[in-house]
Amino acid sequence: MTPAEVRIGASLGERLLAFARGPLFRGDAQVLHAPNPYRRALAPDALAASDFTRPLTAGAPSAHRALAAHRLLGTFYEAETVLLPEQGLAPLHGDFDLFYGADLRALRENSVSELERFAFDCLADAVDVSGAGTTDVLESYFRHVVAEAATGPSPALAAVEAARDRRTAADLYVVQLALDGLTEASAMSRNLGGAYGPEQSALFKIFIDEFGYGVHDAKHTTIFAKLLRSRAMATHVHAYWNFYLAGPLATNNYYYYLSRDHAKFFRYAGAVTYAEAVFAPGFVEMVKVFRGIFGDTVDLHYCDEHAHIDEHHGRITRDQVLLALADRHGPRVVPELLRGVAEARLVGGWFEEDTAAQIRWSDDLARYRDLASNARTGRGAEPDRIVLSPDAPFTTRTRDTDVVLEMAAGEADLVATPTGPPERLARGDVLLVPAGRLHGLRAVTPEATCLVHPVSPSLEAPDSRPATATADRPAEQDG
Amino acid sequence: MARVIVIDLSRHNTVYVGHDRYFVLHAGGPPLLVRDHCPHRGGPLSLARPTPDGRRLSCPWHGTKVGVSAVRRGCLPMVRSGDEAVVLLPDGTEPVSVLRKEVLANLPAETGPAC
Ligand code: FES
Repeated sequence: MTPAEVRIGASLGERLLAFARGPLFRGDAQVLHAPNPYRRALAPDALAASDFTRPLTAGAPSAHRALAAHRLLGTFYEAETVLLPEQGLAPLHGDFDLFYGADLRALRENSVSELERFAFDCLADAVDVSGAGTTDVLESYFRHVVAEAATGPSPALAAVEAARDRRTAADLYVVQLALDGLTEASAMSRNLGGAYGPEQSALFKIFIDEFGYGVHDAKHTTIFAKLLRSRAMATHVHAYWNFYLAGPLATNNYYYYLSRDHAKFFRYAGAVTYAEAVFAPGFVEMVKVFRGIFGDTVDLHYCDEHAHIDEHHGRITRDQVLLALADRHGPRVVPELLRGVAEARLVGGWFEEDTAAQIRWSDDLARYRDLASNARTGRGAEPDRIVLSPDAPFTTRTRDTDVVLEMAAGEADLVATPTGPPERLARGDVLLVPAGRLHGLRAVTPEATCLVHPVSPSLEAPDSRPATATADRPAEQDG
Repeated sequence: MARVIVIDLSRHNTVYVGHDRYFVLHAGGPPLLVRDHCPHRGGPLSLARPTPDGRRLSCPWHGTKVGVSAVRRGCLPMVRSGDEAVVLLPDGTEPVSVLRKEVLANLPAETGPAC
């Protein structure tokens, strides 16, 4: 179905597939995307309209359809921003016209609210706020969750630190930051308009810091690109699109989701205040870990800048946005502010856990070869058969259950990290891919066939997320 | 500043703050941490049963029907994420403890005529 053929009455899944199967979104044979912000691979293999009939759950943020939904949603949101290629538009004008054109726009506008509900309605079940809200309650809760975030290293950075191949792990982490780092503060820009007093001015101060006070060399996206360059990595927007994990995509999309709808303004204020408050200690930690790995060869100006400026941003957002909004607008808005803080904490956990799990798996593939040999694959069940060729589009995906990949013919590279060496699979080789782990396959012989066997029952769940991060923590009291 | 405690809702449903007792009430919508205190003479509302219409709790002491909406209005501020709940208690120095108790108020309404 072309976009023009999708008419009123089509289901959300049909509209999304019509969008994702457009010529801009098929991917190409290269693992990295070219310097063209309009092209990105959207639909992982075997995505079906029915994948969008059951909303996502907060407990499976890296599921196959979660990855697909957040790739789509991120693309929808970015189409509402201005993306121009650094090298100039001349050779890409056709893609520009398509990306921003009426056909895709109509599909986006007809789908975005429903896709947001599909992706984020789970937050209503995952978080709730009760009781009378006061500024004092808000401040106490906020200080509590920020102190908690500051008490240990992030799971993702801990996984980088513990990896055998720390360089590859560190690059994988940087790529997750690139999702936001190369388009920084775009979501925030949507909440700058209007008239809402001193809190508006406070938010604007943060925004202008992110944009380097109008000096391009000081813009945070510019200094993020320096970090990438110092690692000999590509700096154009979404070169590493295939390696953005579902958790980080969802985290990034969450801020767009809140800021697109001004009814969610107070949630946004809570969320952005939480993010700003935990960024500073996060970047201090990142500097430590990255210096330990790369010494002086990596440019961490971006992290130093954030470690410094986010301390101010943390204070400004807390005192001049979050608490000021509560004081000015009264107890009715406090539950929304609290909800924003709590949700940002939850989706921040998706970023961390997904990134950590991907690092741990991709860093230990030899063990997953062994695990695959011992895995009990479903007897009698027909495996999926994937036929690969070297010029076929390369895309990455996740699966909802553990699977064993088995090369039945030819050879292929399993790609699980943006910069590490791929894992060559020859005929007869097997490898266990746990649920939720991002991977792509690339043929290195003229033809290659890979069989995908579901593992049943799950041999182990090395990457499954605990139901809650603190489920086992005894009740505790804070002074 | 409010005092912060974290409870695991899969393990705990009752909070003592000094001599004041609170329990987690499930009455449609999100769980609420409400005072375990009947407005009549302080009976244990956690041992009340819902009326058949689910709108009131029937106090086990003298049978007063206490409106769920009134109980809800007095609940303590709480932010729940999954099974973890962060409770914001008023400033104070009373000791706090958490435990699990039987909460009849979360059982289905008793059948039979409402008294
Ligand atoms: S104490 Fe509840 S009815 Fe008397």
